[in-house]
Amino acid sequence: MSILGYNGGAMVAMKGDKCVSIAADKRFGIQAQTITCDFKKVFDMGPRLYVGLPGLATDVQTVMEKLRFRKNLYELKENRTMTPEVFGAMLSSMLYEKRFGPFFVEPVIAGLHPTTHEPFICNMDLIGCINQPDDFVVGGTASAQLYGMCEALWEPNLGPEDLFETTAQALINAFDRDAISGWGATVYIIEKDKVTVRDIKTRMD
Amino acid sequence: MASERYSFSLTTFSPSGKLVQIEYALAAVAAGAPSVGIKASNGVVIATENKHKSILYDEHSVHKVEMVTQHIGMIYSGMGPDYRLLVKQARKMAQQYFLVYREPIPTVQLVQRVAAVMQEYTQSGGVRPFGVSLLICGWDNDRPYLFQCDPSGAYFAWKATAMGKNYINGKTFLEKRYSKDLELDDAVHTAILTLKESFEGQMTADNIEVGICDSTGFRRLEPSHVKDYLANIP
Amino acid sequence: MSLSMEGIRPHYPDYSNAPMQRHFSPYADNGGSVVAIAGDDFVVIGADTRLSAGFSIYTRDQNKLFPLSKTTVLGCAGCWCDTLTLTRILTSRMQMYQQEHNKTMSTVACAQMLSTMLYYKRFFPYYISNVLVGLDNEGKGCVYSYDPIGHCEKATYKAGGSAGALLQPLLDNQIGLKNMEIIGDSKLTIEKATNIIKDVFISAAERDIYTGDSVIINIITKEGIKDDKFELRKD
Repeated sequence: MSILGYNGGAMVAMKGDKCVSIAADKRFGIQAQTITCDFKKVFDMGPRLYVGLPGLATDVQTVMEKLRFRKNLYELKENRTMTPEVFGAMLSSMLYEKRFGPFFVEPVIAGLHPTTHEPFICNMDLIGCINQPDDFVVGGTASAQLYGMCEALWEPNLGPEDLFETTAQALINAFDRDAISGWGATVYIIEKDKVTVRDIKTRMD
Repeated sequence: MASERYSFSLTTFSPSGKLVQIEYALAAVAAGAPSVGIKASNGVVIATENKHKSILYDEHSVHKVEMVTQHIGMIYSGMGPDYRLLVKQARKMAQQYFLVYREPIPTVQLVQRVAAVMQEYTQSGGVRPFGVSLLICGWDNDRPYLFQCDPSGAYFAWKATAMGKNYINGKTFLEKRYSKDLELDDAVHTAILTLKESFEGQMTADNIEVGICDSTGFRRLEPSHVKDYLANIP
Repeated sequence: MSLSMEGIRPHYPDYSNAPMQRHFSPYADNGGSVVAIAGDDFVVIGADTRLSAGFSIYTRDQNKLFPLSKTTVLGCAGCWCDTLTLTRILTSRMQMYQQEHNKTMSTVACAQMLSTMLYYKRFFPYYISNVLVGLDNEGKGCVYSYDPIGHCEKATYKAGGSAGALLQPLLDNQIGLKNMEIIGDSKLTIEKATNIIKDVFISAAERDIYTGDSVIINIITKEGIKDDKFELRKD
């Protein structure tokens, strides 16, 4: 298996009606051996902007720190909040800079536009090729399972509560069929005026 | 002159705290061709003199009004070759910004970055400051922008301004003529009038250049278009 | 020049002493997915009808369900040539059993025989995802799934083939009712099972290029095997 699957992990983001969700498992392991069950893979990059980084754990943290650095610098320089679209473009170009020695992460972005509150989701491969559909995006070692779950469960214009249920069910059932992801999950529901974070207990085997 | 003792290529402080190299650069600007810029309610205009010494000169081949991106353009007073280097750099910076953020560079950002280049040339070894002041106009966030960039790296946001030869007269003229709810067409008219204040000889569509920028982007006016404006000038 | 060339022999491939190597790959992956769901007195199995290799489609109308008896059906996905061989041997073994014992082989016996037959080719396996369904001796629906070398697992539902990874968690959730707090009417009917099979195949056809075109469904009850077919996306 590639180095992308060295630590395991599953991630999903979905678009809803005036809201978006992003969810990830909490496992950190080295191949089949689980080390911790409280590993953070989704990071806030602003009040309504979240990025999930499934992949090689060391690169997850490095990329997150580089992103935070560049995003903060942008916001100081330009005196405005970064939109999810610009954040995605910046991350994409950052990853492509390392085209021949990449960071082993497959980022997932979810957020609302800072002024229009337009929902935004996208994901990309490890060298920054952006995919921006209008339903859902997935990433990590359980991506095949997630595609199957999301394709069946997702429907347009889900409200925040239904979006939570759909995202959580898709993620949990998907990673229960993946040996190297799971061990708990975190779901973020991002709305105009609030972000709800729920930690979910799941089967631990 | 005492200050000439410090006039080596390196920009060095004089005992009184001045950087005479920069003052010389500003003198080169003040001796250069006049240029004006005016912000209107629905756009912004920049205009400059483009006079030629000989009738043999092939006009409309080399331009002083240059586009940087779709929505940003600039002109200058001072030394042409220095200007073209800055245009090249500005275009490059605009494209680099787009490549990273997939969004056109905001005018303010471009101005800051161009100004940073100009500042670098006041502090680096083996170089001299740029002999130009720039007028950069742009349209973003649904409003017009007009900036002046000086050889020192200082930049200013103007409603309207003049640079180059006779700029003091130009500015006084603009102070009298400017109103904030000016339409773009009137602004072009005023810009040409401002140039005419200090213009020596007959002003034609072949010896001035005009650029305008509005919500549709930046463009240099065709000589025929400039001629129409000139026809309305007494 | 001459110094640096010393001891270095120029490489001419035609004059190399290395043994020539030729490769032959005996397997092909022809894709396809199989989904089976068992109920109390019935079992439903579905397979898509696309037969493909890489980016090309051989046919859009290939049945991958093989009735072995009146109560047993085998669904195959993977290497099609292996499927053909395996099913031919299976039918002949079914016939031999019938003639030797003067009765039809039961689903349970058939499941065991398939496992043995697959393991017999342990070091040159049939490259097939097999899902065998039928009614057991009590008339209860059952599903057996296999790996290519004969490991056999009895289940009540199973997704196999190219979209197996996409569909299995969905079946866990919808049939196995995994991670569900409020469980309502859990009685599985033929209609419910058939509808779920249709839904999961529609989902699989969205994301798996090796699954599509149409689905053939076999519904096995004590009355016999009933055929059903419905269309999927064809791109």
